[in-house]
Amino acid sequence: MAEYHLQGPLTDEDVVKLKIGDTVYISGECFTCRSRLQKYIFDENNVLPFDTKDRNILIHNGPIVIKENGKWKLVSFMPTSSIRFEKWGAKSVSEWNLKMIVGKTTMGAETAKMMKEKKCVHVSPRSVSPNLWIDSIEVEDVYLYDELGRIEAAWFFKLSDIGPFIVDIDCEGNNYFDQLDGKIEERKQAALKELGIDESFEFTKLY
Amino acid sequence: MIKTEVYEQALFETIKRGATGISPDVKDAFIRAIEKESHADAKKGLQATLKSMEMSKTRENPLCVDTGWPIFYFKVGNNCELEGGFVELENAARRAVARATELGYLRATMKHPLTGYDPGNNIGMNIPDFTYQFVDGDAIEMSYAAKGGGSECFGGTRHRIVAFADGIKGIEKFVIDSFVQSARAGAVCPPSVLGIGIGGTANVAANLAKEAACLRTVGSKHPDPMFAKIEEDLYEAINSLGIGILGAGGDTSVLAVNVEYAYTHIAGIACATSTNCMVARRASTRIDASGAVTKMTSPNWFGDR
Repeated sequence: MAEYHLQGPLTDEDVVKLKIGDTVYISGECFTCRSRLQKYIFDENNVLPFDTKDRNILIHNGPIVIKENGKWKLVSFMPTSSIRFEKWGAKSVSEWNLKMIVGKTTMGAETAKMMKEKKCVHVSPRSVSPNLWIDSIEVEDVYLYDELGRIEAAWFFKLSDIGPFIVDIDCEGNNYFDQLDGKIEERKQAALKELGIDESFEFTKLY
Repeated sequence: MIKTEVYEQALFETIKRGATGISPDVKDAFIRAIEKESHADAKKGLQATLKSMEMSKTRENPLCVDTGWPIFYFKVGNNCELEGGFVELENAARRAVARATELGYLRATMKHPLTGYDPGNNIGMNIPDFTYQFVDGDAIEMSYAAKGGGSECFGGTRHRIVAFADGIKGIEKFVIDSFVQSARAGAVCPPSVLGIGIGGTANVAANLAKEAACLRTVGSKHPDPMFAKIEEDLYEAINSLGIGILGAGGDTSVLAVNVEYAYTHIAGIACATSTNCMVARRASTRIDASGAVTKMTSPNWFGDR
């Protein structure tokens, strides 16, 4: 498994070399998004008020940002479960020309298919460690603050070598967690057997 | 009589401590997990998480960006007297949550379920949530638990009525199947503190599971050997699966498995699970009738465990 230190905005070349299981650290401009933003744009027919051409990394997160001495200060930051916006995943990748989504729980088949077509990857955190990251994140700006609120607004961050993240969907449509599922299932059957629950066990159907 | 200003300040301090400080039992469980972890990346992940949690104590910032559902548990002495009574206790808890949110110890996470309206202070219909237990004496013990969105929304909280015909095997299979599904790709933020409620009506089982996940001392055992065996068997079984920190592979998938039970109906066994995320936020405080305030290292909700 390789380790990469990537600088945004990302190019196709940057992301096609990434394979599932690789480790990445990220620098450069990104924006935060929660599903409220996608609902606002794609379902409620609003226009994204910024250009993602030079900001093609989406971080799925609702950060805690406070104002201190007239300046925004990041208090906490942790990527969260991307599967929540699977409904708009493919659309986000294609219409916003994303090259990377940073989030938890990986994403579904539709998004992975679009990622393969458009050359985009999904990466997941290896730890819950906001304090190791917040000093390396600069809050640049915020959009849709009044419309979506402080947590679900689109924050512009500048990252300095944030990581590690594991590549869980690559540009070939492979999913790290799908591959892990098979191994976990095998171990689960062995663990159940150890507890005296063999494969023929069926729940009595009460409903 | 315990003065309002005393319990309100104690509530605020409990929320702040729960949101920003790792509990000693959770820290010990992390140290044990780091020692035994054989996957290099998982070990680094556990170390980074523990380091970040320890930094939160000094920085006085949240352990995780999601500061969860605000939930209070009050273990109240039968002769405990509070200025303004229990209505004022709940009002004080609401004021303390709002103050903690304003100061950035909590994220404004609670919103209207249909309109999405965000009051900005984590206060709304039936939130915060309050649970009471009555005991002898004149003191009050107050626990604050912050149940995270990941651990609650992605299948960590489940329920099934298991037939008596299926018994312990049915219960254990239900728990293992549920946990594997909910921990996939790190959805419930493993390694989890897994709470299991057995018996009662469905809501009783679910409440017991939540309390077992949020209020039991990590590393404690159920005093009844029958339930202690289920805890131990499931702890070993789940940690053999290789799910690991954030589901990316590793030796520790659960920090603890805690079982609590209630008698049930002859018709079936309600069984519920509740996972608490790895940061397992909580804090507890005791106030004696004299007004003396003591920080507790563990909730003491289940007495000896």
